[in-house]
Amino acid sequence: MSAFNHRYKLKVEALGKSFTLHNRGGVRVQGFENVNFSLRCGELLALHGPSGAGKSSILKTIFRTYLADSGSIRFHRNNNPEVDLASCPESHVLDLRRREIGFVTQFLKILPRVSALDAVAYPLIEIGTDEEQAKEEARKMLTQLGIREELFKLSPLTFSGGEQQRVNIARGIIAPKELILLDEPTASLDQKSSEVVLRLLDQLKQRNIAMIAIFHDQRKIEQIADVAVAIGRNEI
Amino acid sequence: MLLELKNVSKIFGSGCNNCLPETGEQADRAICPVCHSVVAVNDVSLKVKDKEILGVVGESGSGKSTLLQLIFQDQPVSEGTIFFNGIKDREGNNCNILELPPARKAWLRNHEMSMIYQNPHLGLNFNFSAGGNIAEKILGAGEKRYEVIRDQALYYFGKIEMPRSRIDDYPDNFSGGQQQRIQIAKALSSSPRLLLLDEPTTGLDVSVQARILDLIKALQYEMGFSMIVVSHDLGVINHLTDLTLVMKNGSLVEYGLTDQILEDPQHPYTQLLVSSKL
Amino acid sequence: MTTDNITFGFFDEDAKKEIRRAMLKAVALPGYIVPFASREMPIARGWGTGGLQVTLSLITDKDQLKIIDQGCDGSVNAVNIRDFIVSVTGVEETTATPDATIIQTRHRVPEYPLSENQTLVYQVPYPEVLTTVEPDTARQKEMHANVDYAKLWVLLYEDTAQFGDSRISSRYPVVVNNHYVMDPSPIPKFDIPKLSDNPALQIFGAGREKRIYAIPPYTDVKPLKFSDREFAIEDFSGKACERCGSEDVFLDEVHLDDGVHFFCSDTYHCDTHLKEDRGAA
Repeated sequence: MSAFNHRYKLKVEALGKSFTLHNRGGVRVQGFENVNFSLRCGELLALHGPSGAGKSSILKTIFRTYLADSGSIRFHRNNNPEVDLASCPESHVLDLRRREIGFVTQFLKILPRVSALDAVAYPLIEIGTDEEQAKEEARKMLTQLGIREELFKLSPLTFSGGEQQRVNIARGIIAPKELILLDEPTASLDQKSSEVVLRLLDQLKQRNIAMIAIFHDQRKIEQIADVAVAIGRNEI
Repeated sequence: MLLELKNVSKIFGSGCNNCLPETGEQADRAICPVCHSVVAVNDVSLKVKDKEILGVVGESGSGKSTLLQLIFQDQPVSEGTIFFNGIKDREGNNCNILELPPARKAWLRNHEMSMIYQNPHLGLNFNFSAGGNIAEKILGAGEKRYEVIRDQALYYFGKIEMPRSRIDDYPDNFSGGQQQRIQIAKALSSSPRLLLLDEPTTGLDVSVQARILDLIKALQYEMGFSMIVVSHDLGVINHLTDLTLVMKNGSLVEYGLTDQILEDPQHPYTQLLVSSKL
Repeated sequence: MTTDNITFGFFDEDAKKEIRRAMLKAVALPGYIVPFASREMPIARGWGTGGLQVTLSLITDKDQLKIIDQGCDGSVNAVNIRDFIVSVTGVEETTATPDATIIQTRHRVPEYPLSENQTLVYQVPYPEVLTTVEPDTARQKEMHANVDYAKLWVLLYEDTAQFGDSRISSRYPVVVNNHYVMDPSPIPKFDIPKLSDNPALQIFGAGREKRIYAIPPYTDVKPLKFSDREFAIEDFSGKACERCGSEDVFLDEVHLDDGVHFFCSDTYHCDTHLKEDRGAA
């Protein structure tokens, strides 16, 4: 059993999620149901399927922003016992988010008072990196992603959609993680920037990081993904 | 575990055996139908770990401020137990802080916890200068060297980004936002392990509110204390907290990661709260 | 005035017993404020009735009585109180500090060192030291019980921050027996060191406020002071009593048309010092 588990970084089994809207007369909205997949370290798993099929909901459920109705999300930790992200205590999830599981959301959520450089450096500082060193790494990461240096001190909320997207990615991947969830990381990027991001994801794979990403573009999936899982629109 | 509440209740009034079962979230009322006592907090259990930031939300009268006052012992608890890390009896077992002798309770309030009130008149003594208010907390924690007290007061006054030259001014001469800052300096000056905040920015204009919340967050990060933040403002909760507890009629109705509470609320009342957000 | 129909010491024995009980409790808990049933007296409240009731409950026909007001045996209040006590007890009166067994005082501790067979009775206007920082009497009691004097210390902090030292000139708060903080009545800072380790019993009576407290003999009494700050008493350096020439005593500052003059506040000390000088000459 344990030898089997060790082959997987993450194993999602019979995962289901629905939403009950109590203030709309108790209507139940199905998010997704019976989702099964697993992935290994250094693998990128692509989720694809039509809009509304529940791809983003699956990522949020793994990150525990959504509570699963059924099924399990077994996360194998490098030096710690395995946990089920669907049911483990909230404080465990907080620890995991800080050190092991990253989430690059579709849209940048950031305070308007924080500069791009500080926003990207923060996840490093949060885990105890020296502030100067964190900023140096943030500078490198932003440069690698093609953000011009004169923008570093500005709030990313004033940036273009593509620039915001790249700041968001930088923020999500700068700190060392074991599993990174990416919700359409290349959605608003031009061809060139997309290539830069894909190269970066490839580097993460080389560093043995497991990733789950949502892509709409079949070519990108073929280019970067090791496994592709189709999520169909569900019928209730 | 830093703080643990077990089945804590607070009843205002004579109280009877029907108070707890007949009130709360299920019963949808906070007043006992038999003895007409007000049940402000009904059988609440919770845990706070080191460095954790817990938000408490709920509408007015849901018991969230009373809950803070019970933890800080501004109010006596009617039923239940509260444990605080490191507070042990003679045998070395964790002991209910509600049963501590008054001097040890005072010690706990002075050394390990601090409270920031919505109304600065509750948190600050307006007959004392800003520095005097900070000094009171440092003195309460046992320091009796003037130079150390003055240096500490100046240090924390600097931490709240106020000019040193104003440290001997009286609270009346500061703006509402500055008064909240002085409360923060006072609260932090004893290096507490738990900071309790009761609607810390309610009533302040939004630009001041944002700066104070940023300050609290930065200081929490730097000093590493745990926090319990009571607010009816989901924006404040979202900005400050990792975990959130939802209260209604004195009962705990939902507990979870803050982003989960805001994005995937389970309880009908939480869904109503979240959908009421502007 | 005839004393034929008045019991010894003006009070009936039950009244004395009640006041003595309060005193015993006060002695048992140095610095702790004990309430007592303050009686109507033939002088108005606020004119030394607390001290008077303590004295009348303690006094026996073997006592020698000295009454001073601001160090002076001859001031009108001292004379009136002394005459009253003598009229209801017939005890011997004296102005000589070493001869007296009971000394009732307002605002001073005598210059002459006290001994074990003496009791110093203070007249106290405001017994509760915490009133300035906490008006709620229930809270005051809690603060005393918890030895929570942070608010008093804050006053000290503020004075030190703004003026370099405490601005309190009289009624300087003292810590008794390392526990209760106590109001020593309006004695000058000059007298504060004399409270500590004093062989005499010191009893404080507040008639209007109906409170009694005490410092038993040889009790440690310290002024409330930061550990890195010195307690400074009034500075009379370079000044001496114009009458007797004393230098190391508390001097009264007297403003006359021709300028400021200094005289001993303690009249017994001044008189004896004057005699010694004349004797020597």
